[in-house]
Amino acid sequence: MTTASLLKQSLLYYWKTNLVVVLGVATAVAVLAGALLIGESVRASLRDLASSRLGNTDVVVTAPNFFREQLATDLAGPDVGTACPLIVLTATVANQNSNQRAGSVALYGVDDRFWKFHNRQFSAPQNRDAYLSQALAQDLQVKAGDALLLRVEKPSDIPLESLHGRKDDPGRTIRTTYSQTLASTNLGEFALRPQQGAQRAMFVSLQFLQREMSEPAAVNTILVSDTQKGRSSNQLAQSVQSSVKQNANLADDGILLRPLIEHRSISLETGSKVISDRLHEVINGAASSLALKTTPVLSYLANRIYSGEHSVPYSLVSAIDDEQFKLLAGNSGKLDDRPIIVNEWTAKDLGAKPGDNISLDYYLWNENGTLDTKSAQFKLVAITPITGIAADRDLVPSYPGITESANLSDWDPPFPIDLSQVRKQDEDYWHEHKTTPKAFIPLRLGQLLWRTRFGGLTSLRIQIPEDRSEPDVAAMFASRLQTELPLDVAGFQVIPVRAQGLESSKGATDFGEYFLYFSFFLVVSALMLAALFFKLGVEHRIRELGTLYALGFSASTIRYLFIIEGTLLSLQGSIIGVAGAIGYTALLLYGLRTFWIAAVGTTNLTLHLSWQPLIIGAAGGVISAAICIALTLRRLGFQSPRALLSGSADVDVYPKTRRNIFSPSRLAMVAIALGCLLLVSAFLHLISQVPAFFGAGFLFLIASILLISAWLIRPSQRVISSEGFRGLAMLGFRNASAHPGRTTLCIALIAAAAFIIVSVDAFRRSGAEENDRKSGTGGFSLIAESLLPIVHDPNSEYGREALNLNTSSDLNGVKFAPFRVKPGDDASCLNLYQTSNPRILGVPASFVSENRFSFQSSLAHQAAEAANPWLLLDQPLPGGAIPVIGDANSLTYVLHLKLGEDLVIDNGGSPIQLRVVAALSDSVFQSELLMSEKNFLKLFPAISGFRYFLIEQPNASLVTQTSGALENQLSDFGFDVESAAARLAEFHRVENTYLSTFQMLGGLGLVLGTLGMAAVLLRNVFERRKELALLRAVGFNSANFAVMVITENALMLFGGLIAGGLCALLSIAPVLIERGGRLPNLSLGFLFLAIFVSGAFVSLIATLAAIRSPLIPALHAE
Amino acid sequence: MLKVENLSKEYTTPNGPLRILSNISFNLEPGSAISIMGPSGSGKSTLLYILGALEPPSSGLVSLDSLNPFSLRPKELAAFRNRQLGFIFQDHCLLPQCSVIENVLTPTLVAERNGDVTARARDLLKRVGLGERIDHRPAQLSGGEKQRTALARALIMKPRLLLCDEPTGNLDRKSADVVAELLLEVVDSDTSLIVVTHSPELASRCPRTLELRDGCLQEAK
Repeated sequence: MTTASLLKQSLLYYWKTNLVVVLGVATAVAVLAGALLIGESVRASLRDLASSRLGNTDVVVTAPNFFREQLATDLAGPDVGTACPLIVLTATVANQNSNQRAGSVALYGVDDRFWKFHNRQFSAPQNRDAYLSQALAQDLQVKAGDALLLRVEKPSDIPLESLHGRKDDPGRTIRTTYSQTLASTNLGEFALRPQQGAQRAMFVSLQFLQREMSEPAAVNTILVSDTQKGRSSNQLAQSVQSSVKQNANLADDGILLRPLIEHRSISLETGSKVISDRLHEVINGAASSLALKTTPVLSYLANRIYSGEHSVPYSLVSAIDDEQFKLLAGNSGKLDDRPIIVNEWTAKDLGAKPGDNISLDYYLWNENGTLDTKSAQFKLVAITPITGIAADRDLVPSYPGITESANLSDWDPPFPIDLSQVRKQDEDYWHEHKTTPKAFIPLRLGQLLWRTRFGGLTSLRIQIPEDRSEPDVAAMFASRLQTELPLDVAGFQVIPVRAQGLESSKGATDFGEYFLYFSFFLVVSALMLAALFFKLGVEHRIRELGTLYALGFSASTIRYLFIIEGTLLSLQGSIIGVAGAIGYTALLLYGLRTFWIAAVGTTNLTLHLSWQPLIIGAAGGVISAAICIALTLRRLGFQSPRALLSGSADVDVYPKTRRNIFSPSRLAMVAIALGCLLLVSAFLHLISQVPAFFGAGFLFLIASILLISAWLIRPSQRVISSEGFRGLAMLGFRNASAHPGRTTLCIALIAAAAFIIVSVDAFRRSGAEENDRKSGTGGFSLIAESLLPIVHDPNSEYGREALNLNTSSDLNGVKFAPFRVKPGDDASCLNLYQTSNPRILGVPASFVSENRFSFQSSLAHQAAEAANPWLLLDQPLPGGAIPVIGDANSLTYVLHLKLGEDLVIDNGGSPIQLRVVAALSDSVFQSELLMSEKNFLKLFPAISGFRYFLIEQPNASLVTQTSGALENQLSDFGFDVESAAARLAEFHRVENTYLSTFQMLGGLGLVLGTLGMAAVLLRNVFERRKELALLRAVGFNSANFAVMVITENALMLFGGLIAGGLCALLSIAPVLIERGGRLPNLSLGFLFLAIFVSGAFVSLIATLAAIRSPLIPALHAE
Repeated sequence: MLKVENLSKEYTTPNGPLRILSNISFNLEPGSAISIMGPSGSGKSTLLYILGALEPPSSGLVSLDSLNPFSLRPKELAAFRNRQLGFIFQDHCLLPQCSVIENVLTPTLVAERNGDVTARARDLLKRVGLGERIDHRPAQLSGGEKQRTALARALIMKPRLLLCDEPTGNLDRKSADVVAELLLEVVDSDTSLIVVTHSPELASRCPRTLELRDGCLQEAK
């Protein structure tokens, strides 16, 4: 006989009780480890998905404009790895046969190199063939040979929002033929940016797409795969950056050097026809280092040059630096009184002489999407012959639709012109002098009139020194400029997509953490259940304890034996629990892939086994169970051996003689005091209301349970003497207080379940009032997103005409709030990946002044800002931070940002510090951050047009027609319209699905609570079988027993329910108030029903057990 | 060997203190056996539990071989009970999960091993007539056999004092006779016996009988 054999015998002998303890611990371990495992599985699934969709891609080289395809071949090598050129665009695709349409499709122009790069044996599409990903094929309902029409943005170096940008038709339609559906194993779901949803991708021939985009042998993306082992993503990215700098030429960077032999100079222009200030600086630096002189030029088109009655239409005017201007003006050029020089032809045509007033009319494209005609007045200071610089037609860069025209009347510019104004002499000038400027003004005046956010120059002249040859200078300058040109200024971005994807797959939402939080009550319930059964087992063996005591076992030895026994049971439970965790996780993942798919939006979540969460979960379960068991056993030390030996000891009760400073009532008072402290702090705005109330509710829940416990263990003063129901009910209550520990545990189990179910339910969201400007939709009926940028203001007459919106009566009275968009990660709960570079919207000033939407909180200090927190977007912040506003949900759960905190995003290699100044309350802006349009244009000048629109249709009955009309009229822009309420509901659906998931966990807690209650009731009946037999002998009938048992049951049920429910209502008070005090009636009703049914079931079983207890043996035993 | 001086015991109740034992004094020499009788509620069991160091007295002194067990620390007290005392209860208090011999060996689990305790257990079981039942479980034994097992368990540590609380209370006459005979057999120069009983037959087998009445102990008439 050894201690081990005693333990073994005990474990086996009491196997029934022990089995329940083991199962309780197993449940706790399964839930705990399962919660951790699900987090690991989600992360691993996202990681696998991102990795598989990238194929062999490690790094991507990309540019907004097209560059030589050859660059990919130049890059490839031992330093960089393998490289593959391709075109990556976003398209809308329509199937002409099925009339199905899909937006935001990833369009790839690829050839055989693409699959070779990814080590796949696969033939690239030829001619017009199109391969589709499975999801896209399904959406479009394609069959072989179907004609698919693609709509993509037309490549253009000229910014849309400059005068010469082609605004009316920024897209191109391409016709392709469906050929086959690509499986994901053949890169059908290839994606450079991680997202968990199904990938809608289309693959067409690279050559075909180059032809259609009029970009022969050019691409906009290069994929790079590292062939060196052990290199970090940063090292690879640096190698690629060096290689791009080394191998790209100026043409790849969009810079053109034009030798002007007759002027002994080189003209530097850009594809955008504008030189940005940063590029200007770099060029000047490169030129200075070679001792070359640069001359800046800004040329612009004047609609009219006029003086008095005479005018000249459509003339080019150049703004040149002061030195050049003075040279051209001779001695008469005074720069301080708006001087202008015209050439002899113009002076003659105008009949102007020095000293006359000369006016220019010109177009100015406003950033709000309108085209204005402006005028500027000058004083004629000189008339220049058309010689030298005044005869230089290369001062003007080549503008498509203008400079290549044979006649002036053939001009086809992207702005309105009145060709009837063109006279014969104008045509003659054009034939003879082409783009030779007719007038010159100082550069500073020109930039004052015509500078845009894209830059203030159209070209730079590099003078060739007398002692050097033009080809040498051109070659040296090109080489130096290429060396000194930063990649971001050149437009190239080198993105370590694999490293970023893997980083993002850590997830915006830590599912493990969430499931752990919301499984907390379930874990506690399971542990309480395990402890309850262990306690019942100990109570059953109370005389055994007394015997051991009498035989010389010390209290600590006995406790040690039972703790070992309990720990062994916990270990067994943990082993079963680990297996259970795997099953539980698999089940939850199945739920997330099927009926809870709204929460995750993907079916790609699979079980990934990892020992770490299982070990942590098992260890956590064992330790927690051991602690629970130790707490249960600690009271044994206070029991008299005599009481133990006689079997009359009650481990629920502390000895009265012992001074117990930790009595339940004292602990309850402490919990209440702490809860009140939290509430007061919340009212004084020392801490946030939601967590304060939740904390207070939780503390009050603990206090309630402790008070119930104190009530149960108090000495009974009243004699049960009433007749009938009252007396029986009192007897039932007295029975419940016979074992206060058991009863308290049951009540705690039910209270915890009720608390979690009610409190979680309060966070459910319903729809928004569509016409309420302070609601989540801001009073807008529709939200639209456009594939192609729209630069015209759809609210203006001119914009409507340009967009052809005047023809539909369904659009009368419709107002638009247009927003600029910097593409980025979806910052909403719809995106499971971590968001490091969220999408950003530029908020127009007109929208700010409307003060729509409600704010949860803001950094407003002044009354005006508090009344309209949108004004905070225009506030300058210390340190150059840019103020942004986000939705409170996205900030909290996805971006993990608080008010006043900064988010640093990457903008093509340069960091931007964004600071959260206000949080919107439950709005449609959950996918993005919002900044003022002014800051947006300053930070992202290259992004043109509006792509996001909030649309207000004052007549609710016309919303559907308006939506249809807009999609129809703006189909060329890939305009997708949806109901604002539907967008908000989509976010709510995700939230509500999460809540359903967590309520299910609460429901499981309720199941455990019910099981515990059943066990306690049955145990009570079993232990009192002698009393019950006696009662039957003296005339108690079934109904009497039923009343007694149901009363006892009701105390536990409703005690737990009321404590849990009321404390939960307190916890969620701020949320309820925010929602207008509406209670979650449906689910509360469901809860009551579930508890009633489970309680009735348990009572029935207990009553039957009481009635069927054998009478005679029980009485004999007595 | 056992010395009891002015021993009193009171319990606190809502209605004030309740005195159970009052100024009890007696001595017990080595190798002697006494029985204590008295009506229900007279405090017999309380006295036995105090003598067994399971419950402290309110006042007075108990010493075994000049050692006051209530002056010991809890662990020393447990060891004292283990080495010096043997208990037999009316309800045998066997561990249902253990076999007969395992039950006998239970006290040895917390004692320093002294010789072959298993052999001693077998000997004791043979002595009480259960040599053939050592692997049986308590549920497979009769009441008398259970009580004999409890006796063997009480003797396994060779106690100085054997304390029996109604050892035959649950037994039929024949079994009670067997148990009584065995109890008196174990009394020798090293072991003394105190039996608390209602049974005049069992009490009469002891050389000396004391009667507990109204909390006071006196020689039985």
